[in-house]
Parts: sequence; structure tokens; C-alpha cells
Amino acid sequence: MDFDWTEEDVEYRTSVRAFLAENLPAGWHGYDKTNLPKYKADARAFCEALSARGWLTQNWPREYGGQDASPWRHAILSEELWPLGEPRGSQYMNVNWIGPAIMVAGTPEQKAYHLGRISAGDVFWCQGFSEPDAGSDLPSLRTRAVRDGDDYIVNGSKIWTSHVGTADFCFLLVRTDPEASKRAGISILLMPMDLPGIDVRHIDGFVGEQSFHHLVFTDVRVPAVYRLGEENRGWDIVRRALSFERVGAAHYDTATLILNEVVEEARRTGLLDDGEIQSKIGEAEAAIAASRLLTYRVVDLRAHGSPPTTDSNIARVAQTQALRLVGELAHVVFGEAGLESHSPGDIRRALAYSVAAGTTEMQLDQIASGHLNLPKFKG
Amino acid sequence: MDLTPDDVQRQILDSVGRILERGADPQHTRALLEVGKYDEALHAELAAGGFFELPQAAGPLEAALVCETVSKAAGLVAATATGLVYPMLTGEAAPGPVALASDKGQPFRLGQFAKVILILRDGDALRLTPQPGDVEPVDNDRTGWPLARLKPAALSRAEKVGDGAQLLNWWRTGLAIDAAGAMRGALDVTVRYVCERIQFGRPIGTFQAIQHRLAQMTVQAEGVYWLALEAAYRNAEPAAAARAATWATTTSPLVLRETQQMHGAMGFTREYPLHLWTMRLPALQRELGGLSAHARAAAKLRVAA
Repeated sequence: MDFDWTEEDVEYRTSVRAFLAENLPAGWHGYDKTNLPKYKADARAFCEALSARGWLTQNWPREYGGQDASPWRHAILSEELWPLGEPRGSQYMNVNWIGPAIMVAGTPEQKAYHLGRISAGDVFWCQGFSEPDAGSDLPSLRTRAVRDGDDYIVNGSKIWTSHVGTADFCFLLVRTDPEASKRAGISILLMPMDLPGIDVRHIDGFVGEQSFHHLVFTDVRVPAVYRLGEENRGWDIVRRALSFERVGAAHYDTATLILNEVVEEARRTGLLDDGEIQSKIGEAEAAIAASRLLTYRVVDLRAHGSPPTTDSNIARVAQTQALRLVGELAHVVFGEAGLESHSPGDIRRALAYSVAAGTTEMQLDQIASGHLNLPKFKG
Repeated sequence: MDLTPDDVQRQILDSVGRILERGADPQHTRALLEVGKYDEALHAELAAGGFFELPQAAGPLEAALVCETVSKAAGLVAATATGLVYPMLTGEAAPGPVALASDKGQPFRLGQFAKVILILRDGDALRLTPQPGDVEPVDNDRTGWPLARLKPAALSRAEKVGDGAQLLNWWRTGLAIDAAGAMRGALDVTVRYVCERIQFGRPIGTFQAIQHRLAQMTVQAEGVYWLALEAAYRNAEPAAAARAATWATTTSPLVLRETQQMHGAMGFTREYPLHLWTMRLPALQRELGGLSAHARAAAKLRVAA
């Protein structure tokens, strides 16, 4: 066991910071902007530069445009990028789980095309998962794909979809067998977003501009060669992909940045001398440190070649908790100033994290069944 | 960065596991606790196996891994004070069971069995080899540790062995390790119980109201475990030690309350072993000023950094 970074990792982090100083889009100020189409060109240029440096998909196997770099290096990159507001835009999803899902289940043509584009940094994806009646109970999704010759005809809708404004492709979950049990009739389509019949409706929300969309599909004709994996076997691929999604983002570093600002504000206002505020700062600090180590545990398992485990659910819940603690503390310390959007005292961010990437309740369900082996009720 | 135990660490854990399997059966521990005795046999076996000399032989992380395992098995021995805090503070192996005390006259864990007592006084770490009458057992049925009190007169015979801050940091690290073990042990027992206890025609562990709370406690306790190991790895670096103790004392009340609650009345009996783990937590929670002292220390160290 070793809790320190290797010399190479330390050097790598230094070189990432130098890269960021040169390549971060001018005037980049991060928070919640990556959904906006006007930043797409910036995100593309940034990812292409990352790709040229060999870092965008460095943790991928060489045969797919990667460098076989350790998962730790990829985690370091994520730690440096996420707190900046994720200048990769939605491309972080490409690297973390969309690409790996295609590696696992894609045809040679799909691998060549999609993995090539992802590792070049010139393509944006969105994730077509949630539906109006399928949120936490994702396997009950109903968007229908019916085979018609060489195509599927897709009808239905997806909701709460992020990154639609910039997306070239959608990683779309569809029901191809309505007779089979819920999990047994799901397929994945790698759907171009410019096909006729896709209606994008923006949903006004209060966590980040243009965060949510409602996608409505009316007789969208998707070539069957765009299906990922076997028909009706999509759920297994998705389950695996989701475990990569959960800890792909270094929320603990966002929490650290917020806590830094909390400490500065508390110093400015004299609250830093308040014993109760000190206690809360210490608790938030400990929560962040715990969530960081629990996330490192997931990276470590991956570095040792372990298949995904419920450690990723544990890490996710811990990260959410750290963000909540620091968010609530910021709310107190910033007082009225926290009411301004983009203030670190903006409580909305912490509210959203316990819903995104699987609600905390779903994470706890999976820890209960997968980690604690608690029995399911067979009524 | 590598958070997987290497071969040597795995071997150490396996061999201490075998000793605990033979020596730290809950019925045996409960019987000792009821008559106010120390598990001399287990202590001797751990000492003979070299487990209390791991700080010198392998390192503090290996010692911490062993101490956490002993705590998780509810072994009634002063493993952490003897096998981690003392050797790290003094650079020597302990001559026998070690206890950690403040100079404020408060009850402290396992003091009546100690061959040597480390005392935190002002800025100093003091060592006392207690003589008959220096230490008196405290009558208590509130915690899972036999407690004792140091007579003030004995303090005059204590000699300085190190820096008080060093002792404080190792003590914080040690209490986080003990808390991690106690919480993880309590959770294991509780998970078994809720799978066996049938109410409303089903194991109560099938209820989501139980499952989510156990899962949440797991997240907390695993966090304490890793923070405690990191603090040991970092030689009780002050901020790491304060973070570990903070998270241990933040989490302990939750695990105490919830694991007891899930056992219903059964959890309050002496016969059922849950108390061997849970009743240790209140004592750990109070040491060194408790949560607010650790958390404020963590905050001050962060602000100063």
C-alpha cells in the first residue's frame, strides 16, 4: 500500500497544469457552462489539444487510440479539469464510459469510427437514459425501437438529458422486446443527433443554464448497424458503463475549492474565530478527504484489473455527502452573498449531485445488495 | 498510489486473523469483560507473534492494519496503544500492555492492566511505570472497555519521553483505527442479524428502511478506515491524524445509535455480543476532547496550511 503519488505522477500533474495555463480557453471561468453550444468550439479545441498531447484517452489501450496509461494518470487529469468546470465539456463522458462501452461491445467498424473520433477529441455525445416514467427505475424504459428491414424505427422520449445542445451522437437506450422481462428487452443505439424525427425541447431549470432537455422521437429511422452489442442485451453493457460514470468526475476537488472560498470568506468576516464554524470546516475537510480516498480505492481496483464493484457506489455517496456538507457550510458562511448565482454559497449545486448519475437512494440500494449482500424481498 | 495490500501485508493480516479466530471469540471476550479482566492470553500471543513490534519491523501502516483487525474482532487487548502509539512515540517496543491517559484525572481505557502509561501533559508526553495504588479501576457499565483512573500523586513520578504533540497525533490516529474496527465489527454483526431476524414474515434486512441506513453507515465507516490508515501511513502527520479522528467521532454516534436500533431489545442484552463493539464507541468519542476538539484542530491545520 502506498498513499503517495509516484514521482512520474507528480511530474505528470505539473505538466497538466502547465498545459492548462497554455490551452484553457481564454476567459474560461468554468462553473456550469459546458452545456452551452457557444462553448462547443472551445471544448473541441481544448480536447483536440489534449488529444494531440496524447492525454485525452491516455488510459485506453493503444489499439483504440490510447497509451495504456494507468488509471491513476487519468484520475489526475480528471482532478485537474473537473474543478475548473470541466473544459472537456461532455467529452469527459466519452472517455470515461462511452468509449469503454464501445470497446467492450462494438463491431470493428463501430470501434474504428467512434473510438477514432473520441480519441481525436472532435465528437460530442449525450446520454439518452432517463424517461418521463423511467428515472431511478431505468430498466422500465419504454422508448421503442422496432426493426424495419435494415433500420430501427424509434418512437418515444428521453428526459433530463444534459449536453444535448452540443451533442453529435446520443448513447440511446431503447426497448426492442416489450414481451421480455424489463432488463432483457433493452438495446443500445449509437444514434446520430441529426436524424430526422428528433425533436429537442429545452427544459428550463435552476441548476446551470440549459442543463435539461426533453428529446422526443417520432419515427426516427436508425440504421441497425448503429446498434451496440446484441439485440436485447444492452442492459449488461449499460450496467458496466454506469459503474464507470459514477466516479469519473472528481467532485471532491470541487468541494475543496468551495471550502477554500469558505475559509477565505470566514477569515474576511471574522467567522473563522467561531468555534462552531471551525468545527464545521474540520468536518467538511474530513468528509472531503474520506471521499477522495474512497474514490482512489475505485481507481486502485481498476489499476489492479478488478471488474467494477460497489466501491464506486460507496465513493459516489461519500462525494455527494462531502459536497453537501461543504455546500451547507458555504450557505451559512456567505450569508446573503450566497444568494448570488455563481457564489460558492450557491446551494443548488449540492442539491443536484445527489440526483445526477443515479440518485443517492439507488447508490444505497446497490451498496445494500452488492456490498452487504442484504437479501431482496420475494413477496 | 496503491491501496491494495501487498503480499507481506496480506500475510500479516492472515496470520493475525488466525490468532484472533482462535483467541478472540466474542463469548470469551464477554466473559472476561464481566469479571473485569484483560485478555492476557491474546496479548501474549500477539506479542509472541511480533505484532506489537511491527512499527519497527515493517512500518506504522502494517501496525495499523493489525490494530484495526484486532479492534474489529473486539479483542480485549490494548493493541493500538501497545503496538502502534508507544513504539512510534518512543522508538522502542513496549514492555507490556500500554494505556493512554490525560493528566486531567479522567477515566481512561485499560489503565489497570498497563505495564506502562503514556500521559499527555501540557506540551509533553510522559511515561509512567505504575506502582500498586497508582491506578484504580473505575466502576462502569457504560463502555465496552474496562476503565481506570490515575491518582494525581503518581504524576510526579512520570518522566518525559517525547513531544506532547507527537503523542496527541498518534493517539488521534490510534483512536480512529480503534473506531474503524469497532464500527466495522458492529456493522458485520448487524448485517448478520438483520438477515436472520424475521418479522412480518421476512428478514428485516429486506426492508429498504434498514438497507439504506446500513449502506450509509458502510460509506461512513469505510471512510474512517481509509482516513485512519492514511494517518498511520503518514506517520501521524497532524492534519491527517486530525481528519481521521474527526471523521471517526462524527461517524461513531451514527453507528452506535443505528446498529443498536436495528437489534431492538436483543441489542441491550449482555448475552448478545453487539455491545462488545458498540459500547466501545462512546469511550472513543470522548477521548482528547471529542469531536469538536478534533474538528477544530483539523480546521486550524487547514487554515494554517
